[in-house]
Amino acid sequence: MIQTALNRNGMIVAMFLGLSCLCVSCGRGGGDSAVTGVDPQVTARGTVEVTARLTEIPEGAIFERELYDYTTILKYTVLRVHRGKVQGETIYVGHYNPFKRRSEASDQRVKDIGGDLSRFQAGQVHRMALEAPIDDYFMGGIVNKYFGQSTEPIYWAVWTNLAGE
Amino acid sequence: MKRATVVLVSSLFFSPMPGRGMPASSEAELAREVRGKGWIAFAAHSSLGDWDIFVARPDGSDIRNLTNTPASNEASPQFSRDGRKLLYRRLAGGEKIDDNRHGEQGALVMANSNGTEATVLGQPGEYPWPSLSPDATKISCLSIKGVFLVDLGSMKTLNTLPRKGFFQQLAWSPDGRWLSGVANSYGTGWSVARMNIATGETSAVNRVDCCTPDWFPDSRNLIFSWRPPGQGTNKGYGWTQLWRADAEGKTRQLVYAEDGRHVYGGHVSPDGLYVLFTGNMKEDGDPGNAGAPMALMRLADAPIIGGESPAVRKLNPGAKNGPVLKLPQGWEPCWTFSETPGNRPGRTGVDSPDSRPWSRGLQPLRGSR
Repeated sequence: MIQTALNRNGMIVAMFLGLSCLCVSCGRGGGDSAVTGVDPQVTARGTVEVTARLTEIPEGAIFERELYDYTTILKYTVLRVHRGKVQGETIYVGHYNPFKRRSEASDQRVKDIGGDLSRFQAGQVHRMALEAPIDDYFMGGIVNKYFGQSTEPIYWAVWTNLAGE
Repeated sequence: MKRATVVLVSSLFFSPMPGRGMPASSEAELAREVRGKGWIAFAAHSSLGDWDIFVARPDGSDIRNLTNTPASNEASPQFSRDGRKLLYRRLAGGEKIDDNRHGEQGALVMANSNGTEATVLGQPGEYPWPSLSPDATKISCLSIKGVFLVDLGSMKTLNTLPRKGFFQQLAWSPDGRWLSGVANSYGTGWSVARMNIATGETSAVNRVDCCTPDWFPDSRNLIFSWRPPGQGTNKGYGWTQLWRADAEGKTRQLVYAEDGRHVYGGHVSPDGLYVLFTGNMKEDGDPGNAGAPMALMRLADAPIIGGESPAVRKLNPGAKNGPVLKLPQGWEPCWTFSETPGNRPGRTGVDSPDSRPWSRGLQPLRGSR
């Protein structure tokens, strides 16, 4: 009944839109914020909001082990500041239990974090809602492979969405 | 009759056993040596399955349940230095003890060290990670907002210090000048560090994968657990071992290690001659289950390696095999030379830590086989 109501052009448009959605969802974390990483959480949480490229993942910075909940500090190049202020192009951001999907990272100790990112990979672009300094928001083990390299405050990742590979 | 049963159970499960190449007489001699040296306190499962605070002689005999609270769980006991007071946390019955959050779970309780006159100090979650001052007039606490020194008479905060990365397990030094704790401010999580209470300055004692620091009586040395890198066992992570170091972090020494055992919760005796510790039989088996066999050894016998442990023996060829005294199943014990914990009006030895987990397949301390 519906098909008969569509004209030929309409069907082509519908197929194109469907394929577009499939392509987008294949390349990202699984939410609705493809390409820009925008969603109601990332634009409202934290005091700072940036789009930034994950520079690298140092060896041993992300691991999964029994007993150890931890935060890893990752290095980013800031592409755009949406809210708040950051100093310089490079920022250091702490992600809690980075071996987990952001949507599954919150727990009894850290209750208020999330996002649609499935897996951290060097080169990805993330849209993030942040707080600083990290010590005001997280009390636990921190793996910081950049220890001593910067005196700037370390940011705490509240919400992390994928905004591009 | 009940007392007779307790004694029988105690002798079956908690008597000294010979170690690897170690005659039974060595453990028996160690047991005799420590039996009269006050009391140890520890958390353990009662026969009803809840966590209670127990005391026992340091050789594991004469076990007594101090709290007997089936509707709640008690853990993290801490004697005052004079042995007259006991600090612990009381959790609601349904709340599971979390190995990484136990210091902030439940409400803080102060009692006489024989369990009488237990008083709840504040609401659940209040006064996190407490440690008694040497004179037991204050506690230090640790929250995300800083380190707080609280007067126990008024429960008012006397001083606040930046926590500088400290995040767990504060311990106040016997000389009153220092706090030790687990810190994340040295490039890695789980460093052991100390903080000068007068200045707030901090310094690392040992870095990477350390926890449960506690002071020697001289306030110049610490006992702590550490997972040294390069062990090659346990999927490449190795096992957590008991170590000691001077408080400036210049020298350190292995105290006890055993492949297959997560050794931690070290507590040095008041005379500095012995150490108590806990040891998971799997990575996270103590608070989540029912504890694990605790143990006691002479510090003069260190380093000791338990079980076969070929990898760790290769790294420590001069280590001894024992003697190590196997103690009741429990969690994070502490020790006082005071006789007060055993002097409770109207009570004798009652109840015992639940032996069921033992019979369900947990292995006895391997170094004590």
